Amino acid sequence: MWDTFITLMITVMLYIYNLVGQNFGWAIIIFTVLVRIVTYPLTARQMKSSKAMQELQNSKKWADIQKKYKNDKEALAQKQMEIYKEMGISPFGSCLPLLIQFPVIIGLYQAIIRTLAVTPIQLVNLSKHISNGATLIPINSQFWWMELSEPERFPIMGVAVPILAILVVITSYIQTKMITPPTQGAGDGGQGAQMTKMMSLYMPFFMGYLALTFASGLGLYFVATNLATIAQYVLTGQADFKNILPKLPSRSMG
Amino acid sequence: MKTMKKYLLILLLALLALTLGACAGGRRVVATGWSEITLKEDVAYFSYGPQVYALNIKNGTQKWLFPVETETGVDFFAAPVFADNGTQLIIASYNSNLYSIDPTNGRENWSFTAAENRYVAAPLVIDQGIFAPSSDNKLYAIDLNGMPLWEPFETEDPIWASPAWSESCGCIYLASMDHFLYAINPETGSQVWKSEDLGGPIVSRPAVSDSGLIIVSTFNNEVIALDEVKHTIEWRFNTTDWAWASPVIDGEQVYASDLSGTFYALELATGDLIWQLQPGGGIVSAPLVQDDLIYFSTDASSLVVVSKDGVVQRNLPMEGKLYASPASAGETLLLAPSEAEYYLIALNQNGTQIWGYPPAE
Repeated sequence: MWDTFITLMITVMLYIYNLVGQNFGWAIIIFTVLVRIVTYPLTARQMKSSKAMQELQNSKKWADIQKKYKNDKEALAQKQMEIYKEMGISPFGSCLPLLIQFPVIIGLYQAIIRTLAVTPIQLVNLSKHISNGATLIPINSQFWWMELSEPERFPIMGVAVPILAILVVITSYIQTKMITPPTQGAGDGGQGAQMTKMMSLYMPFFMGYLALTFASGLGLYFVATNLATIAQYVLTGQADFKNILPKLPSRSMG
Repeated sequence: MKTMKKYLLILLLALLALTLGACAGGRRVVATGWSEITLKEDVAYFSYGPQVYALNIKNGTQKWLFPVETETGVDFFAAPVFADNGTQLIIASYNSNLYSIDPTNGRENWSFTAAENRYVAAPLVIDQGIFAPSSDNKLYAIDLNGMPLWEPFETEDPIWASPAWSESCGCIYLASMDHFLYAINPETGSQVWKSEDLGGPIVSRPAVSDSGLIIVSTFNNEVIALDEVKHTIEWRFNTTDWAWASPVIDGEQVYASDLSGTFYALELATGDLIWQLQPGGGIVSAPLVQDDLIYFSTDASSLVVVSKDGVVQRNLPMEGKLYASPASAGETLLLAPSEAEYYLIALNQNGTQIWGYPPAE
């Protein structure tokens, strides 16, 4: 089942590779955008759930129960569940589409690495996924300054700078900030705020670390998918650019 | 609920890192290639991952390791080759270096570091020098002191096939993934002639017959014979899948194979099929022909023994994948499996294991 899925991805990837003049970098970018388009219904559902959750968390009703049950976490959780039920919101509504996309991300990465096949055993394994692709072998894994099967470094004045990893961190940060609106509890150190903060800080660096250490084909995929997500949010009018810059502490004494 | 989400996120990140890590392999001993076994007197030499091994054939005891301590980024999957009347062992590495080591103790004599990508195939050693094909598309020619003989000969794509020497032509035959076969003058590095496009990448050493035929296996599902003098294609034989392994010439027959696991015996002069069999599993290495028997290994973990008229004598199941060719040392048969407990195993004539290396803890 998983092998069939990977074979399908490799076949599409090689088709695109051939179509764009045997350039694997462009094949990754185009394939990533295609995958984002195909999984758009899931993304849209995730965006909708996030928005509903955000509206709920900014409502007076929500603030009231937070205040009322602040010393009784069990009762608070029960009340929150009641409100979710009442408003028809699933607390996992934004997580589930992400979970479904997870195998797609892994599959895409495996397809990229397997297709690059820079060693004999990788090539033997690739041969099991492609029936008539021998004329496309060896895959041209050079893209701009990058060797897509190796971690990327760009020499600047004798220093090897990981440009791609930096781009991954920046685009991941922008994407995370853009799609994660501030909750009402953002300033009070609540669990929701901590979670959001953790996500927006750790996630970009985690992705950057992966791009730094793994094949640059993966980093290219991260940048492409981040930019595609940002574009989706911009095109649907849901991007919040105000969130990108860190907020200065309020001076008002209220 | 939020705590649960937090844990879910951490779990997801950990899972993602683990999965991607598993895909990438990291620097542990993960076989990404395979090494043929080189035999000399009572010692077997082979590469596997971060080290090259010299083992006593009789009992599998280790004589030396190279390097003694493993280094990150240094992997070996090409067969060690003797040079300089057996006083040097030349080892090609995935770290783009070529090493000369003392075969008696495994100490480094010199290294050649000009290549820009990994060496997959073993070099060719002849009187004129050492000729090492690299994944950076170039063939490097060096002398016995590790000094370049001429500017590297460049092809369009990576070279994964060891070159072959032709006495009659006085030239080196080099097959590249760019679909071409090149004849090169070993003294000057100049091209003597170049074949027409052979239709697919070639990743194994060409076989040269006394009758002047050069036989190559290609990924275009073909075994092709070229005439050494006329430089033309004499015959083509269609296989059912990519033909990876080097063809082997045995008298008037040629043995070839493909990744579907089909093994072929062909007429050397015409390319006509004599017999074929498909015991299961892909075949990527050349067979061993000894006495009246043919031994070949498959990646479906079996060693197949066939008589020269195509009758399977034995199909021995083995642990791990057998990518490398079997090697014979008198009464002992040596196999270098991948993804197995042992890196090298010795079998007796009945197929019973005599020893395995590394020894079980």
